[in-house]
Amino acid sequence: MKTLLLTLLLILLLGYSLKVFAAPQTANQAQKTSKTAANNNAASDPGEQKFKQNCGRCHNPPDSLSPREVKAVVQHMRVRAMLSAEDEQLIRKYLAP
Amino acid sequence: MNRFFQLGFLIIGMASGLSAQSEAPSVPILSGAVAFQGTTTGGASSFTPIIVPVFVAPLGDHWLIESRAEVQGFIARDNGTTGPYSGHFFAAFDYLQLDYIANPHLTITVGRFLTPFNIYNERFPLWVANLVDTPIVYTIGTRTSASSNGGMVRGVAIAQPKWNLTYTAYASTSVTTENLQSGRAAGGRVGLFLPQAGMEVGASYQRFLQNGNSNIAGTYFAWQPPQIPLDVRAEYAHSPGGQGYWLEGAYHLARTRDEETWLSRLQVVGRIQQYFKGNPTPVDALPLTNVNQFDFGLNYYLPHNVRVNGSYGREFSSAGNANIWNFEIVYRFLFPAWPGGHQ
Repeated sequence: MKTLLLTLLLILLLGYSLKVFAAPQTANQAQKTSKTAANNNAASDPGEQKFKQNCGRCHNPPDSLSPREVKAVVQHMRVRAMLSAEDEQLIRKYLAP
Repeated sequence: MNRFFQLGFLIIGMASGLSAQSEAPSVPILSGAVAFQGTTTGGASSFTPIIVPVFVAPLGDHWLIESRAEVQGFIARDNGTTGPYSGHFFAAFDYLQLDYIANPHLTITVGRFLTPFNIYNERFPLWVANLVDTPIVYTIGTRTSASSNGGMVRGVAIAQPKWNLTYTAYASTSVTTENLQSGRAAGGRVGLFLPQAGMEVGASYQRFLQNGNSNIAGTYFAWQPPQIPLDVRAEYAHSPGGQGYWLEGAYHLARTRDEETWLSRLQVVGRIQQYFKGNPTPVDALPLTNVNQFDFGLNYYLPHNVRVNGSYGREFSSAGNANIWNFEIVYRFLFPAWPGGHQ
């Protein structure tokens, strides 16, 4: 019974997360889409290029990241994905111009 | 326990304070994934709810605290294919490490970290892995728990516009404490990454220093051609307990990587693997017979970082062939773990 309750709780948490995080990301998605479109036009953006070459090997760009979050995310990925220092800077500027 | 929390708050406060002094203020983040998996192997079904929270707190420009925990349940029938369902829940720290980014070529890590053998263990958490099941040879080089307790150095030894040479070296001590297990081992990995071709090759070595010392070696290959949404990955691993390889291909139904349509969100995945038995011990967690297996899966990437995937596999073994069905829904989350982080 305890296990079933815990399982239900996990499922509810999943559903709640979807509901809570979907709403604010709708607006952020629009920002990201426009950002992506802008960057697609400027295909020579070195930060975007580095993002695709390194981060894009495993996952898509995040829906949105505030400038304050970007530093933690990119520093985390520098260690985990062994980004070079130069690539880290370029990707940071790309995600939080 | 109170001291633990006080220390935690102090560290987060330091993170906030130090970050405020630097040019780009940062906040700690809470990321990770929530997933629900269903598996049927040879007629025996099981269900696995999982939460994997990742906490990252930068302490200025050079220091970083990273942790990943894993809380998962395992719900299955008591007698495999018959009897009532019952479940157990497990929790473990995958990593809890302090990193010091010393210079562009060196990062020093202490604490508990993912054992860097080949690439699957470090780079394919459940929200990245294309198939639910881990490869058969996954346990080679990652004993005893896929995590190590000790120290590690890593970084980009040489960074050139057309190629990067990366390295990792580590030493781990034996820990048997529940949820924090690790093996006594030392090893390393080198990798050559060609960013313009989207190709990486590398090799790993480990000297396992318990249960009778042994040498473990492996090599890996990854290729993501820049113009085509194709993802090819492969690993080979060898140990006294056994050896084998896996080769996986995944393709988004699109002409280019940038194409965004409802169809391009669909990914077709295939994997083949072969395992050849050596002299496995219980700690190896390897099959006791030779195994051939193929898997075929479909992944659909929904908006807002939700992915649904299903797969079918067939295992061929002298112990008996089996069909393997998997289903998974996974949601990737990321939000600041400190007030004002959305700014």
